Amino acid sequence: MSTLFLARAMQRRSFFRVAGATVAASTLVLAGCGDDPDPAPAPVDNGLALVGFDANRNPIDDGLLNYAYLLEQLEAAFYQKVVAAPPADLLPGELGYLTDLRDHELIHREYLKTILGSRAYDATLSTPLEFNFSTFTLTTRVGVWTAARQLEDIGVAAYNGAGKLLVQKYNLIALSKIASVEARHAALAHELLQSDSFASTVGADGLDDAKTPVEVLALLEPYLPIKVSAADLSTT
Amino acid sequence: MNILKLLADLAATPTTQFENSTPRREALGELRRIGAKTLAAALPLGLGALPTQARTTRTILDSLQLALQLERLQSAFYTRALTAPASFFPADGSIRASIVKMQAHQQQHVALLTRLISSNAAIPALPTYDFTGSKNNTQPALFPNVFSNFDQFLTLAQLLEDTGVRAYKAQVEFLTADNYTLQTALQLHSTEARHAARIRTIRRQRAAVVKPWPSPTDASITVAGKTDVVYATEHATTQVIYQAPTSTGAAGTYKPVPFRLLPIGSGMELLTVSVPEAFDEPLSAEEAEALLGLFTY
Repeated sequence: MSTLFLARAMQRRSFFRVAGATVAASTLVLAGCGDDPDPAPAPVDNGLALVGFDANRNPIDDGLLNYAYLLEQLEAAFYQKVVAAPPADLLPGELGYLTDLRDHELIHREYLKTILGSRAYDATLSTPLEFNFSTFTLTTRVGVWTAARQLEDIGVAAYNGAGKLLVQKYNLIALSKIASVEARHAALAHELLQSDSFASTVGADGLDDAKTPVEVLALLEPYLPIKVSAADLSTT
Repeated sequence: MNILKLLADLAATPTTQFENSTPRREALGELRRIGAKTLAAALPLGLGALPTQARTTRTILDSLQLALQLERLQSAFYTRALTAPASFFPADGSIRASIVKMQAHQQQHVALLTRLISSNAAIPALPTYDFTGSKNNTQPALFPNVFSNFDQFLTLAQLLEDTGVRAYKAQVEFLTADNYTLQTALQLHSTEARHAARIRTIRRQRAAVVKPWPSPTDASITVAGKTDVVYATEHATTQVIYQAPTSTGAAGTYKPVPFRLLPIGSGMELLTVSVPEAFDEPLSAEEAEALLGLFTY
């Protein structure tokens, strides 16, 4: 979103330029800032370039919302596949959990799609993306929960890393309502594989993991049928 | 009042970004307890009105102080529980091990928040806690056997962890002026959610009717007028999304998400159970403080 510029030495010249102009208060944050170093979005072959800026190079949330939407699509597709053909060795209660997880992810997916409306990356696609789960073992409960644990942990880290990049507070609030539910899912998947492993992603200072969109997309690459580029997203 | 400070506070409602070169140690330098209203009144003429999003008087410092209150209380709660005799804990050693982990996290959170606050404000004195809820025997106890009956302990642990998740969620919007603090709060927020889910799975193993996420199907564990605030607005069946204004200068509106019409499946309870489960709701600072106040005197 932004950084406090208390610690930033403000040039007297740029301050008076701002103070002397009748500008919207929101443009004040430009005072004392360098030029925008962000390159134009690189074209992506057979892929999706997440959009971080509008035509005037003002940061917008479309790319990050589509990023979250893609994550939720992936998770929803994963649980749909699992629930449609559950492993035979599930323990009592586990199919109920998987069904709940599928329902939550479908709801998250449609929630984000509704927020995006015509700005959803696939709004004009005739068929939705087909995700690739061939690297997972979905015939055993351990395989299913291992895959779920991996996807949920990535999701939590993705939301934790994306929050500060959002421009609009209402989008931050919208995503934070989902983020903690994903963390609950992740903790459950951890526990079903290994008791007392709920917090194995929690590191220094007792802080859960956070990843940048670039880091997350690299982890998701095996499951995505297209290349997704975060090159245009703001990194602060 | 320093004009640069005022401008900095104004920047808390940005529509643009700029490079982040602020070292973490300095990221919170010289925060002031200035709210938007104070700020607007203090602005020199010619600097324009506040952005429309600025409608709060909570500062980053206010949010950090709330988080410190919450984490201190949780830390004291687990610390006290871990002094109970071994017989207090179940035979399954992984359960006590999880409480040990949670206590360690809460202590780390307290230390982190103390570091962040102490460069800007005095750290408040540690309150006195009474986890029975009797406020030092001045009123009937809510959890009279909280450190002798493990299920009672777990019930309060769940209430505190779920409160933590919801309280952090309500504060993130006030931290947007500082990337480091915002991300830190989100990382604390999801840690609390992992704790809450673990406590809930332990309770479920012990035959409580509860899911890892707050659900309308959970058996009630709250007392009206006391602890019911923890879930009073958590099971919302409606979510609203922001609609940008169609013309420049007009206000945006909020509209409900029409889940009934969306392809989310065909289960009987999707709208009444699954939708509430799929979202954790924010809990205001006032509500969170009221809950914490039940256990301090």
